Amino acid sequence: MPSVVTLNLQDNQTFQDWQAFLTSLGITNFQTNELTTIDLTLGIYDEAAKLVATGSIAGNVLKYIGVCNKYTEKGTYFNTIVSELMNQLAQQGVFHYFVFTKPEYAQSFEHVGFHQLAGTEFGALLETGDTNVTTYVQSIPKIPHQSQKTVAGIVMNANPFTLGHRYLVATAAKANDLVYVFVVNNDVSLFSTAERLKLVQEGTKDLPNVQVVNGADYMVSYATFPAYFLPTPDAAIKYQTTLDARIFKHQIAPGLNIRKRYLGSEPLSRTTNIYNQTLTKELPPEIQVVVIPRLTGSAHQVITATQVRQAILAGQLAAIETSVPPTTFTFIKSNFKILQQRIQKGMNIDGN
Amino acid sequence: MEIKQTALAGTLESSDIQIMLSKGTDGIKINLDSEVKKQFGAEINAVITSVLQKFEITNANVKAVDKGALDCVIKARTIAAVQRALGTTDKPAWEVL
Repeated sequence: MPSVVTLNLQDNQTFQDWQAFLTSLGITNFQTNELTTIDLTLGIYDEAAKLVATGSIAGNVLKYIGVCNKYTEKGTYFNTIVSELMNQLAQQGVFHYFVFTKPEYAQSFEHVGFHQLAGTEFGALLETGDTNVTTYVQSIPKIPHQSQKTVAGIVMNANPFTLGHRYLVATAAKANDLVYVFVVNNDVSLFSTAERLKLVQEGTKDLPNVQVVNGADYMVSYATFPAYFLPTPDAAIKYQTTLDARIFKHQIAPGLNIRKRYLGSEPLSRTTNIYNQTLTKELPPEIQVVVIPRLTGSAHQVITATQVRQAILAGQLAAIETSVPPTTFTFIKSNFKILQQRIQKGMNIDGN
Repeated sequence: MEIKQTALAGTLESSDIQIMLSKGTDGIKINLDSEVKKQFGAEINAVITSVLQKFEITNANVKAVDKGALDCVIKARTIAAVQRALGTTDKPAWEVL
């Protein structure tokens, strides 16, 4: 049995062999932003030194898995590659894995213990590990008789939490018994996950029927929706947002009795605008989509977190004060230097 | 004994079993995937449970993906997973075998 080796994709010849092998199997997306996220690539060579199987890891996502079954029993190389990738992640203390794959391969992953979260005609998302979407939904705080209450959900990155976010949450809180605010879980934004969660919690403390929850790997996460964080063509954004919407609709909402999803209108960000269109198409009729027009500031400009981040870079504290709640302002003021240093160190502030 | 961290042992190759052991709160819960679950599911679960009991583990979540492993393999993989989960791999528990 040939053994598994690490492939060095920095080596030009190895990269070309790897790319040609995957291309022959119908995997053709080799965009730089997909490739730079790869942490490790494994491969199996046959006796003739020909690549016959490969798989990669990016964070906790398995990627670029391709196997040639011509000279072996179906599934042998596949199982070897997948289990070696899982062992590598386990050594780093990662025990929760995702995979994006074409719909026809979803079953192969189900045979090795993966569970499908959502599928579209272009691809499926599966997970396995020591936590899963069921345990996640169980861990979210609930209120008595929740099944008889009107419950709404909002998903936000809140980078940072502005008066615009606050207005959206307050509007939803007025019209519902319970509002879940899911905060996107990633540390590629200017404000870290812990900071963003804290600012949303503090900024909504006076609204007793608002429950702030970490969105984990299931809402606009790096695993499910990388386009939110990386420049990506429209087609990929549509496909990723569809998966994200279906996970929310089928895996998250039912267990929490969420019947409404609130969105802020999106005049400025192309990606978020496509996301809103997809949600409006996918969620009804089970979940009603409520679009709230953006709050406009004193100068009749919409309030966005992007402007707040730009004001931090420019050092304009006064401009920030009118766009964010006092809690967010206090935080920015006392961490002003640190935030500016993060931007200077290369943290992108123009995305979401 | 209390599980300290999630641990993984074994592979997905033919005749092996992959065991993932993590913290539980509600007894020993085994989630088994196996093509021979119908015929041998109860026995596989019994082997895993007996190893956990020998280590005096009362609460655990086990995710097992079986590829036709024999009982001795199931036992060995479970012991490896337990010792990794308890952080005791430097002191092999020979008496459990």
